[in-house]
Amino acid sequence: MPYLGSEDAVRELRRALSNPNVQSDQLRYRNTVLKAIRAMSQGVDVSDLFSEMVKACATVDIVQKKLVYVFLCSYATLNPELSLLVINTLRKDCQDPNPMVRSLALRNMTNLRLPSLVEYVEQPLAAGLRDRAACVRRVAVLGWAKLHNLQPDAEIDAAVVNELYGLLRDPDPVVMVNCLRALEEILKKEGGVAINKPITHHLLNRLKESDVWGQCEVLRILQRYHPQSEDELFDILSLLDASLVSPHPPVMAATLGLFLGLCSGLPAVSLAALERVRGPLLAACGSTSRETRFTALCHIQLLLRSLPGLMGAHYKRFFCGYAEPAYIKQRKMQVLVELVNDENVAMLLDELKGYCTDVNPETAQAAISAIGRIGRSYSDRCLEILTGLLGLKQEHITSAVVQTMCDLVWVCPQCSDTVCSALEGCEEMLQDSQGRQALLWLLAAYGERVSSAPYTLEGFIDRVRSEASLGVKMELLTTTMRLFLCRPSETQDMLGRLLHYCIEEEMDMCVRDQALLYYRLLHCGIEETHKVLHGQRSDPSLGVLIGRPAEPINQWAYSFNTLEPLRQAGVETEPASRGSPEHVTFDPKPNTDLSDTLNCSQIEKLGTPISGQLLPFFFAEPLKFHQVGWGASVHSHFQISPEMFNRVQVRALAGPLKDIHRVVPKPLLCYLGCVLRFVVLLEDEPSPQSEVQSALEHVFIQDVSVHCCIHLSLNPD
Amino acid sequence: MSSSAIFVLDLKGKVLICRNYKGDVDMAEIDHFFPLLMQHEEDGLLCPVLSRGNVHFMWIKHSNLYLVSTTNKNSNASLVYSFLYKLVEVFTEYFKELEEESIQDNFVVVYELLDELMDFGFPQTTDSKILQEYITQEGAKLEVGKSKVPTTVTNAVSWRSEGIKYKKNEVFIDVIESINVLVNANGSVMSSDIVGSIKLKTMLSGMPELRLGLNDRVLFALTGRDKGKTVVMEDVKFHQCVRLSRFDIDRTISFIPPDGESELMSYRINTHVKPLIWIESVIEKFSHSRVEIMVKAKGQFKKQSVANNVEVRVPVPSDADSPKFKTSTGNAKYVPEKNMVVWTIKSFPGGKEFLMRAHFGLPSVENNELEGKPPITVKFEIPYFTVSGIQVRYMKIIEKSGYQALPWVRYITQSGDYQLRSNV
Repeated sequence: MPYLGSEDAVRELRRALSNPNVQSDQLRYRNTVLKAIRAMSQGVDVSDLFSEMVKACATVDIVQKKLVYVFLCSYATLNPELSLLVINTLRKDCQDPNPMVRSLALRNMTNLRLPSLVEYVEQPLAAGLRDRAACVRRVAVLGWAKLHNLQPDAEIDAAVVNELYGLLRDPDPVVMVNCLRALEEILKKEGGVAINKPITHHLLNRLKESDVWGQCEVLRILQRYHPQSEDELFDILSLLDASLVSPHPPVMAATLGLFLGLCSGLPAVSLAALERVRGPLLAACGSTSRETRFTALCHIQLLLRSLPGLMGAHYKRFFCGYAEPAYIKQRKMQVLVELVNDENVAMLLDELKGYCTDVNPETAQAAISAIGRIGRSYSDRCLEILTGLLGLKQEHITSAVVQTMCDLVWVCPQCSDTVCSALEGCEEMLQDSQGRQALLWLLAAYGERVSSAPYTLEGFIDRVRSEASLGVKMELLTTTMRLFLCRPSETQDMLGRLLHYCIEEEMDMCVRDQALLYYRLLHCGIEETHKVLHGQRSDPSLGVLIGRPAEPINQWAYSFNTLEPLRQAGVETEPASRGSPEHVTFDPKPNTDLSDTLNCSQIEKLGTPISGQLLPFFFAEPLKFHQVGWGASVHSHFQISPEMFNRVQVRALAGPLKDIHRVVPKPLLCYLGCVLRFVVLLEDEPSPQSEVQSALEHVFIQDVSVHCCIHLSLNPD
Repeated sequence: MSSSAIFVLDLKGKVLICRNYKGDVDMAEIDHFFPLLMQHEEDGLLCPVLSRGNVHFMWIKHSNLYLVSTTNKNSNASLVYSFLYKLVEVFTEYFKELEEESIQDNFVVVYELLDELMDFGFPQTTDSKILQEYITQEGAKLEVGKSKVPTTVTNAVSWRSEGIKYKKNEVFIDVIESINVLVNANGSVMSSDIVGSIKLKTMLSGMPELRLGLNDRVLFALTGRDKGKTVVMEDVKFHQCVRLSRFDIDRTISFIPPDGESELMSYRINTHVKPLIWIESVIEKFSHSRVEIMVKAKGQFKKQSVANNVEVRVPVPSDADSPKFKTSTGNAKYVPEKNMVVWTIKSFPGGKEFLMRAHFGLPSVENNELEGKPPITVKFEIPYFTVSGIQVRYMKIIEKSGYQALPWVRYITQSGDYQLRSNV
């Protein structure tokens, strides 16, 4: 952000910096340098001052040196030639009797990040490893990692590696830990630093000397160690027992991670360790730092997948405070849902009910959907609360309640009577598209029991012209069709109007195609239509909340104590807060990130279709298939044959329309029973069905079989 | 953990200062942070991790600053947050108050600190006591050839320098307990716990050895004594100076203290305590006309103790007007910007009961917006008293020069997160 007159300022600074009078006066010289740095911090481009700053580097004033180094490191990559001049000063400083000066010079030498300077840096770095001051050795050790990072393909100097291994025995604990860090970086291709028995025991014995950061590093790296005997394993475990209940959450988490890694073959020991960390984990949930609280909650969710009973008695610790941020409240509610049992259900629901009127609409919606989830096991109590909430006549609450009911009846068909009677009269309160879609879905499924259904639909159809949401229009078509099947006399006229509008006037291709599809379907006769449209109304097999089998720990152990649980959660809460079966147009969320572990494992997990895992939904904008994410195979496939998908629309279609579409059980919180539907419009000669299918299978997870129909006659033009 | 770069941003998302540690994430990525934050906030999906492509921003907010760490690795999140909080802690110790201005005014020191705190994405020297020995704000004063190496960087006792001298050797011990209480609208206590901390202000010469004795139940059980009141502490956290191995073996708290102020230990006690100040409230809302509030506060602690500076904060609807108050003691004040009545009682003896009545008018046009139900919160301080009953039994000070030193102990109980939900 250069501000006006920045050029003048730079010129002024250059004049001052090269003024011999200034240079001879230490204080004035430093202040001038300071001005330059201040300008740099404010976003002024002061790179032109590089040569003057190089000169300013040769000074006895340490503060000035530091300032100049900050400058040089920021602009070195722009001036590789001039940077060569600095090297001499830096190398001279490496000989300085003052260790602070030596470490400063060494650190900045490696921070210049210029591959051309590597040859000048190696010698001082090698000397730095043998320096008598620990602070210099600390810098030198990491310096080697930085060099390697600059030239990742350069050959690894075995002598340096050996020396670094030797320095693991350095008396200074930070040097020791830095060695581990550096070796991890340098030997990345070989799988990181080699961990054998002597190294492990050495590191464990010195664990206590390190600070929190060092301990976490050591514990993480030790995860790779395989004890040679059970005795050794138990020795290690008992040595680490104190760290397991460490009051520092990061150390506790790192220790638990190590325990889980070491005991992967001994589930009983892992479970005991989890029991042991309960106290510290709960303490972390009450930490003053919200981020720590959030991280702890995310990890508790992870643990609950294997040990649903872990926190049962402590459910009150997950009650929300009034001023807590929404992301913590929502996470706590997700935990609360997992903790529900016969004893606490009344208390829990009472608490959740209080959150339903939260000022933050997302929190309120999350609370309502949490009640809906509990409703799968305690449907009467929850339906009572939900219908009570409708009486508040608040738009966002009504919408969330209808969406939640929609999910609830999908798994608990016995609730349908209450739901049907509650639906009367709530369409006026529904403003957002998700809520209206949910209402339409319910009308489609239980239209014959809601006496006012045709009138509600009529209202929708009268307003269809001004309807902005694509999803609502699609849903409206399906609902009207289905209602026509069960109440033909009342609906026939409006169905005709709707189809006419959608086919003749509607601008959106998808709606029009859908309408045409239904129109042709009706031509095939009522029997045929019935067969296609009369889908499943519920799937009770998905509804079990209590007594769900616990997952084995190794399902998630790899991601424990990383960034992943925090992010995964983010993906999961999103639909939860939004609601319900609907035409989901998922944001193209890139998921090719989190390089270390996230990708492959995720795909494997997703591959098992019915096992209750998370399924991805792809969304692609017309004419551009972008960010299908979830693994490289997708991208590569589309690079091979892009012509096949001239236009791809992917969406989760509300309602279990079974036949033409592929049913995907969607265990994403409230997303049960949605249908994933593709419409692939082929511009050129239609490809053979098998080809399309194989392409779709690539887009999809490998072992979900894709049911595919090509409607050649879809496009009337 | 691995942090590619650290940024300090102001409230508008402008970078005040930054440090690129690894060079594997483009520094320009930070330009996306603030728009991303705004967008997530709007969608109600704000979260301490924000991602764009394969760059992840982990951030915390402190006063009017955002502290952001970028990474493209699946790094250890809890460690990154700990580090960001460590930054806040160190900066606060340097500048008293960490805010935009203090960063602007001290950016030389900030650069120096960022350089020492982390290298190549790994935390290095993070102890502010050590840092203060060689990075000083007086560094701005010119002093050539200064900056000796602090002995502590290589010393065995990294938190204390040698050669400290005081004329009068004293140590002040503060035992502070905060009470967190959550009471439901129907008057049942949902949760309560005590968070305690023992703070030291050490003014001792040389390298003294200190030993602190508490009425710790585990210790008493170990030594076979069972006299008097004892306390069970959970989640005990110590300053790094305490010899944990000794504590693990025989529960002795022995240490060489850092000079000046420090927190020696903290603990949590998870027992049900009677809320020290009990509030009963009746809030009656007559739509379109008025709100009537009656609050009764009762001191549920010993008669000898006195709670000071008690503040009872009662929420009122945002459209309330023309307040009228009546109190049996203290003052009530309407704070319209926070939509609450603050009832202040300077001194509140134990066992007493006080009453406050408030009356507000409501406009005839009803406010349609949904309002939350904020709880009643209470603030107070009770000196010379700990709710858990923890006691300092002795503090032994041994220094090789053999001087006599005086320990001073002070107890205080205060409100932490003290909430009572109201029914309106």
